[in-house]
Amino acid sequence: MLPSAEEAAQALRDIAAIKARAAGFQDYHAESGQLLLWGAAYFSGFTLTALFPGNILLVWILVVVAALVVGTGLARHTNPDIPGIAWRYLTLIASILLFCIMMNLVMWPLPAEQSAMIAPLFVATLYIIRGVQLRPRYLLIGLVLGVLSTVGFLFFQPIFWWWMALACGGTLMLSGLWLRQL
Amino acid sequence: MQTPDEIIHQPVRLKIMAALNTLSSGQWLEFVVLRSIVDTTDGNLGAHLATLEASDYVRIKKDFAGKKPRTRVNLSPKGREAFARYVAALHAILTPQNVAPEPSGS
Repeated sequence: MLPSAEEAAQALRDIAAIKARAAGFQDYHAESGQLLLWGAAYFSGFTLTALFPGNILLVWILVVVAALVVGTGLARHTNPDIPGIAWRYLTLIASILLFCIMMNLVMWPLPAEQSAMIAPLFVATLYIIRGVQLRPRYLLIGLVLGVLSTVGFLFFQPIFWWWMALACGGTLMLSGLWLRQL
Repeated sequence: MQTPDEIIHQPVRLKIMAALNTLSSGQWLEFVVLRSIVDTTDGNLGAHLATLEASDYVRIKKDFAGKKPRTRVNLSPKGREAFARYVAALHAILTPQNVAPEPSGS
């Protein structure tokens, strides 16, 4: 029997809703790998900074380059159907790095602890914006990252690098695992 | 006018087909992910997948991810065509010449 116009319209609405829901799951899944990777990178970077405070620049250059190489491969693997995904990914990360470098230049000289706050707060803001516009879990990730990083800067200066390893790296890694929970 | 596919028309099967149709032809969706997207129980999803598999609309693959058993589902080319026809049939129903006008004077 032929469905009525109302039934047909309802079926098309159901299809659109499922399409959006499926896109959300796929987006969360793709993002989870990057969160785990950059969480591990932040954790390693801040831990090494705590252990070797005289080699901050070298530590972060090595960590960022390693994360970029792995992240680009991960982006290609997770989104094989998106044309130019590697370039898009590299442009995104480069813009975040450029922002951090520019902030350092503009505000130079600034202590290492202040400098270390720029990237986490910028990333937290990006996730909050993404969460408001697209998917709610990103909003919570951004809020937790921003709040924990700020709390560490304001109240835990004596253990700042260790705090950031857990607050920043830990938050991102746990967020990555959370996005895999359906 | 073409009658929409009765196999797909059932609400849960429609959701399954719509979810699988978002993937490219070579991609497989894990059973647990599909269950979350469709928002149904294991038993219900399994029963409807069996119906779709019997019609060659979906393919089901069971393997192991490490030591964990894993079931994955994929939309077959026949299923993709059937879903496209189904959506076209729904749109056809909604074209102005096929929608009955509202009774006037009510």
